[in-house]
Amino acid sequence: MAKPEFSQSGDVSADVVVVGSGVVGGMIANELAAAGRSVVILEAGLRLKREEYVENWRNMSFHNRLHSDFQGLYPQSPLAQAPLYFPANDYVGLSGPNGSAFKQGYLRTVGGTTWHWAASCWRHLPADFEMKSRYGVGRDWAISYNELEPYYCRAEEEMGVSGPHDVSLQSPPERSRPYPRDMIPFGYGDRRVAEIVNPHGFHLVPIPQGRSMEPFGDRPSCCGNNNCQPICPIGAMYNGIQHIDRAEANGAVTLAEAVVYRMDTDENNRITAVYWYDAHRQSHKATGKTFVLACNGIETPRLLLLAANARNPNGIANSSDQVGRNMMDHSGVHASFLANEPLWFGRGPAQSSCIVGPRDGGFRSEYSANKMILNNISRVAPATQQALALGLVGQELDDEIRRRAACGVDLSISLEPLPDPNNRLTLSSTRKDPLGLACPDIHYDVGDYVRKGLESVNEQVKQIAGLLGGTELRITTDYNANNHIMGGTIMGKNPKDSVVDGDCRAHDHPNLWLPGGGAMPSASVVNTTLSMAALGLKAADSIKADFEKGRA
Amino acid sequence: MQSSRKVRELAGHLGLAAAALVLSCSVVRAQVPEPNEAIAQRGHYLAVAADCAACHTAPGGGKPFAGGYGIASPLGSIYATNITPSKTYGIGAYTEAQFARALREGIRGDGAHLYPAMPYTSYTKLTDEDIHALYVYFMTDVKPVEAKARETALPFPYNIRASMAFWNLLFLDDTRFKPEPGKSAEVNRGHYLSYALAHCDTCHTPRNAMMAEIGSKALGGASLASWYAPNITSDQKSGVGSWSDDDLARYLKTGDVPGKAQAGGPMAEAVEHSFQYLDDSDIRAIVAYIKQVPAISDSRDTAPRDAYGKASDRETAYRGLAESGMSRGERLFTGECAACHRPTGKGSPDGYYPQLFHNTAVGAPIADNLISTILMGVRREVGGHTVYMPGFGEGSYVDALSDQDIADISNYVEQEFGNPAVKVSADDVKLIRSGGPKPLIAKLGAFAVPGMIVGVLVLAGLVVLVVRRVRKTR
Repeated sequence: MAKPEFSQSGDVSADVVVVGSGVVGGMIANELAAAGRSVVILEAGLRLKREEYVENWRNMSFHNRLHSDFQGLYPQSPLAQAPLYFPANDYVGLSGPNGSAFKQGYLRTVGGTTWHWAASCWRHLPADFEMKSRYGVGRDWAISYNELEPYYCRAEEEMGVSGPHDVSLQSPPERSRPYPRDMIPFGYGDRRVAEIVNPHGFHLVPIPQGRSMEPFGDRPSCCGNNNCQPICPIGAMYNGIQHIDRAEANGAVTLAEAVVYRMDTDENNRITAVYWYDAHRQSHKATGKTFVLACNGIETPRLLLLAANARNPNGIANSSDQVGRNMMDHSGVHASFLANEPLWFGRGPAQSSCIVGPRDGGFRSEYSANKMILNNISRVAPATQQALALGLVGQELDDEIRRRAACGVDLSISLEPLPDPNNRLTLSSTRKDPLGLACPDIHYDVGDYVRKGLESVNEQVKQIAGLLGGTELRITTDYNANNHIMGGTIMGKNPKDSVVDGDCRAHDHPNLWLPGGGAMPSASVVNTTLSMAALGLKAADSIKADFEKGRA
Repeated sequence: MQSSRKVRELAGHLGLAAAALVLSCSVVRAQVPEPNEAIAQRGHYLAVAADCAACHTAPGGGKPFAGGYGIASPLGSIYATNITPSKTYGIGAYTEAQFARALREGIRGDGAHLYPAMPYTSYTKLTDEDIHALYVYFMTDVKPVEAKARETALPFPYNIRASMAFWNLLFLDDTRFKPEPGKSAEVNRGHYLSYALAHCDTCHTPRNAMMAEIGSKALGGASLASWYAPNITSDQKSGVGSWSDDDLARYLKTGDVPGKAQAGGPMAEAVEHSFQYLDDSDIRAIVAYIKQVPAISDSRDTAPRDAYGKASDRETAYRGLAESGMSRGERLFTGECAACHRPTGKGSPDGYYPQLFHNTAVGAPIADNLISTILMGVRREVGGHTVYMPGFGEGSYVDALSDQDIADISNYVEQEFGNPAVKVSADDVKLIRSGGPKPLIAKLGAFAVPGMIVGVLVLAGLVVLVVRRVRKTR
């Protein structure tokens, strides 16, 4: 088992230096450590036990719960902030026509943001890889669906995904291997809605999920605590920490509270070292043969820009000037209404089924696709707020909460922005983090492609609400973020207009990989984690190949 | 997470290794009788009742009876052998006499001694008819696996198998089961099942310094590596005398009696691999036998293990408060345990997550099974359905807890839901985590076997002297 070597001053040397300890960094670290490479993982944030998050969540105020504060229960390192919104800490400065739609929630903590995801494990469609060729909009990937497909399979197996074995319920159905586990069974609400809406052309399918109904290896079965977000209290949902643990069992070493801020390059523009500040603001150096930045879509481009040096004055990996551009998220809206019969959403995992009919079609040459998740987070909190607002008390209040919780429907709708170089992350000239490092600024405009897509969403929602006898239909008017950060280190074949190649290797630096959401050139409408993990595993294979062929 | 599987086969406990039924090539070709479907079927049932697969089929998809499973012991890993009818790697060349000798005397085909991890001290009670049925089953219905199981290589002096000859001289009662007159047929059937086949005594009867069962304390409870096989005599407080027949039968069949006891560790494996498949009449016979096993009482036991504790109503007192006044153990309990077992300790209504009060693991006079459950979790597949609690040891999917964490949680659980007299220290957890208390023979290490040999020689000398004296006096 290969181990990184530490000097007395706390510097470290390893075959592979991974920055970021989320699902992507953890999987890559595990792959390389299992292949006999020494691996050090540098994570800016703290390392705490699940139990702390669970208790913090249980003690949260009703207000924070009602408004989905998924960030506040995760204590932050004083030196490495992440965005907070209760109240806002303005760590990320937002501007532009839809700046407020880019309020991302991501964690800087060992294990990463999958501590508070909902474990949706979607694949992109084959068409999503060829947006430019097929629909004349956006960009093509540097790789095809078929090239990523084996890695989708591996990622599903690593994360223990339950998805439909019934091909008619698969989105997409192009698969070389079955899901490791069959779908999580539909709840009553999913079944009932499917009965009512499917005959009208909507296609309700189960969401593939990183959890299972029976134990998956040593992972316990899901029992429907229904608070996947902000924390699964029993470890039944896949979290990135599970791969950090496995990487460590294979010899990798994780350093928490290690904020990377600088990178050294040699005359061939290979990365030779990265530097980090420890919890006492002392700087250390990590040398290695191969470097991976897996800090997701905001922190990776921020670090690349922060680390600009004499040979790379516009930032590391940025000869194309594309680092930080093309920022995307599934800018979305929520639609809520009361059905005319109890549907009892809120039992089982937080996400269960989804309408995917409008995921693809010829219309994509003109406007955005969408998907509509039948949100399965318990409706008790909003029902309570609504019932209290009616001024009810006593038994009437209880009855109204019950009625609204039982009949309440919330659709979480995702749209697909196109990569736009003007949607851009830059370094703030005014705001610095506690280490004096520039905070990120992001300018964001969802674009007319999404705006036009929303018109079609509104029509579809009204039809669905009508079919379910819906009253009190509300569709939010401001776009909300979905934490699926993409584009900032965009993939492409041409080094002049993209940052990484099909293996997520930086065009500018032969030993630097930038895997994850930032590399994704098209957003599709589905959650990004599985694609990020698949890209991470593909990157890991190319790193392994470099070592095996003596190129590392 | 270390599986507890097969620990009950006593290897870890003995400090001596599981047997290697590896064949030498010199064995005479066997005369396999004509296949007899009925006999083979009965042999299959007997093999299940004797739980051969527990040791000889590797968990996680091992081929049936191909061996290869490494049993953790204080002396190193001990590998169960291939007992399929492969002539090269298994027992395919055994004659029935050789087969019987392995089961009854612990001597394998090539004449080498087995360690008593192979429970031949129990199997020796098998009737000739049952040995025959087992032989027919293994030779005709078990598929030969042409692969060598990993060999056991214990360090000196435990690798001297011949020393077992002395041990057998002292401790092997090589006689067949004899029904006790005056007991019902059902009790006698239960006795036979419990000893000759299920070998309950292997785990539940305490052992002397030479690791032989102490007959006077039969089924009185014994430490079993990280786990504790409790007193299952008919004593009302120390044993299971207060259990109804139905509860005992349900426990054996399913490993789960809500509000009373759940099988974990090695007992979960016994239920999973053996008891769940036994005929109801045989389960009832075992129960009938167990219920009349002479009580062994510990005066310190003031109530049955399943009679301690009550539901907690503490959560309303601390939830949402910055200064909760919770102990460290309670805080850890709410964060790590209460999502399933509830802050009240009531568990889930369907019993998948068991109730913590009125629970034998929590109310027991020693906390080994509580600690082991927290460390290693529980896995029990019964009727095609898996009951699973993740462990909280190293690499846990939930949280990896320290010795102090587990001690604090255990003390809170004992205080709130169990036996408040039981106190757990971080050192206790450390010991359980490292495989539990080591038997004397393991602690003695290199001195053990020479000491044993000297002891046996002295004893043999004494016997000779006594015999001579007796003869002289005649």
